[in-house]
Amino acid sequence: MKPAPTLSSAFLEPGGHSLPAPLLELRKQRGTALVDMPLPTRKTENWKYSSRHLKLTDGLAASLPATGKDGLSLSLPGYRVVFRNGVMVPEASDFPDLDGILIQRFGDLDDNDAAALAERLDNTLDTRAVQMARLNSARFEDGLYIRLDKEAVLDQPLFIVHEVTGTASGSAYPRIYVDAARHSQITLVEEYLSSGDEPVMVNSVTEFMLADGANVTSVRLVMEGENVQHIGATGVRQAANSRFESHCVGFGGPLRRHDLMVRLEGEGGECKLNGVVVTQGKQHYDNHTSIEHVAAHCDSEETYRNIAAGESHAVFNGRIHIHEDAQKSNANMNNKNLLLSTGAEIDTKPELEIYADDVKCAHGATIGQLDKISLFYLVSRGIGRREANTLLTMAFINELVEQIPVQAVKDAAQLRLNEFFDQTFQEA
Amino acid sequence: MLSIKNLHASVEGEEILKGINLEIKAGEVHAIMGPNGSGKSTLSQVLAGNETFEVTEGEITLNGENLLDLETEERAREGIFLAFQYPVEIPGVSNLQFLRTAVNAMRTHRGEPEMNAAEFMKLAREVSKQVDLDPAFLKRGVNEGFSGGEKKRNEILQALLLQPKLAILDETDSGLDIDALQVVSKGVNALRAEDRAILMVTHYQRLLNYIVPDYVHVLAGGRIVKSGGRELALELEERGYGWLGVKDEEATPSAAS
Ligand SMILES: Nc1ncnc2c1ncn2[C@@H]1O[C@H](COP(=O)(O)OP(=O)(O)OP(=O)(O)O)[C@@H](O)[C@H]1O
Ligand SMILES: [Mg+2]
Repeated sequence: MKPAPTLSSAFLEPGGHSLPAPLLELRKQRGTALVDMPLPTRKTENWKYSSRHLKLTDGLAASLPATGKDGLSLSLPGYRVVFRNGVMVPEASDFPDLDGILIQRFGDLDDNDAAALAERLDNTLDTRAVQMARLNSARFEDGLYIRLDKEAVLDQPLFIVHEVTGTASGSAYPRIYVDAARHSQITLVEEYLSSGDEPVMVNSVTEFMLADGANVTSVRLVMEGENVQHIGATGVRQAANSRFESHCVGFGGPLRRHDLMVRLEGEGGECKLNGVVVTQGKQHYDNHTSIEHVAAHCDSEETYRNIAAGESHAVFNGRIHIHEDAQKSNANMNNKNLLLSTGAEIDTKPELEIYADDVKCAHGATIGQLDKISLFYLVSRGIGRREANTLLTMAFINELVEQIPVQAVKDAAQLRLNEFFDQTFQEA
Repeated sequence: MLSIKNLHASVEGEEILKGINLEIKAGEVHAIMGPNGSGKSTLSQVLAGNETFEVTEGEITLNGENLLDLETEERAREGIFLAFQYPVEIPGVSNLQFLRTAVNAMRTHRGEPEMNAAEFMKLAREVSKQVDLDPAFLKRGVNEGFSGGEKKRNEILQALLLQPKLAILDETDSGLDIDALQVVSKGVNALRAEDRAILMVTHYQRLLNYIVPDYVHVLAGGRIVKSGGRELALELEERGYGWLGVKDEEATPSAAS
């Protein structure tokens, strides 16, 4: 038998040595544990559709330069933090000093905060299930630590722009940790962008720890280029009566992977996970979500939509695990998929593990095409094919796009969607 | 305006229309009646360009232009409008957006500037009132959850907005209550004009009291078996289709083969 491929040692040499000592120490530990880490293969259940798209060549092992030219011009409302190649760019960032809210790059943390963070990192993630997140923990060079004190409210969305520059081949490891104390509130937007066209890997990890009654909204917009493999993980832990809302909008690439894991650990917790994925050409997108109802009386609601054109491939794997003590859980999962061409493929799989008896759990998944009769109805009114197809495709995701709570993200997503429609639909 | 010659059409290899001949001039109103399954909707859908039906023989011209060469949307822009027997529900596309997109597609085709949202809203509200449809229906998904009668009124609303040259109304009177029938008839009569023709498919001569046709045709077994003036409708109402020699198997061609 051929030995399973392991992570090349080239990946175990992180750059960026100016981190505080506790974080350097943690990173070193995590790196040591990765020696001989088996890489996902076709036989790895949670990577079976995606392992062949994961190309960890030694060329990707290098850290990308911490500074590069200003690739992207951004005009975003609200507060903004820009990371280029996984390292914060203070000149491009803009956010105020607010009472009760710490927003600080890892590199600038004092010893106490750094030690506190080192204790927390990885504690929202089951790293056996999200293997690739372990690489981030061994490689991050900077990151953002956000800590909200009790009842602190961030009054505007905080935009975190993760930009990678593909002027040379290599990888970047953005890292975010959000500690939301009791009844605090924040809306965090992560935008993933790229410039250049050398092969690049982005391996990002974002963690949210919600104390009692905390209210966190996470918006994630993935729009990197065709040269970028994107592997992201988001870990969430929720204490009693907290609320977590996630809106992911992603456009495809050679590899796009997102693992989103939520643990409802206190009674009265609520989470809502929305996702829209659009792929074309030979793109590949894989969403794995996991919702664990650990405590009783929690609600989860998940709605994901995939649209696949060309010869692209989208994967949705939605796991709901209701623990034995999680009575009166209410879990709702819905995944609808739209194939825009005969060459496209979508794989969807709900995974339900229910160990409590008094629960409400509903799930549904469909795969379909645009309705021919609806299309005929529209064109019979003089509407062109391209516009008619666009209307019907938007109808498939409108509800989710409308729910995105940040207008600038809606606008950016709509612009990119319009490009997709222009490339995908033709007049007769 | 519209000329149909020896039109044959089939679906899934089965011939439904077996040689239709029909001439419609500008300003005229024609009614088509006939038993269930005789091909009335098929004819309507073929005129609108539904590709489910294959035209195997014959020709259709609109003002001398070969209609069969045109895509559905091009036919619509040339002035063909079909009010569907079963209007389609499209959740997620708002009625307003649908109507505005359609109106602007037509305007663009005619080289006129598009209407902005505010201008169009004003127009759509006015026309909604004309067909007695609460403007709240503009905000809903296209036909989504509309009652049968509301769907029919929404079809007439579209006809009034798009101002077609040839309006084909496939059983727009079916399922309407008495008040709605009057509203819809008023809408259709508002469409009557010298430069416009109307082709109405109906089962009831009742409608023809409100919209008086110039000609009535009986379609049976995929052919027009009788044509006449409006008195033909009264006669059909009294005597049914039997006296025309229309047998059951002719009325339902699928049963015959
Ligand atoms: N898409 C289709 N596939 C198969 N058969 C079809 C299709 N559409 C129509 N037909 C058949 O063609 C025949 C004519 O149907 P059509 O709908 O034109 O009748 P109609 O005269 O409009 O009847 P009604 O008065 O009931 O509306 C019927 O036998 C019908 O079953
Ligand atoms: Mg019919």
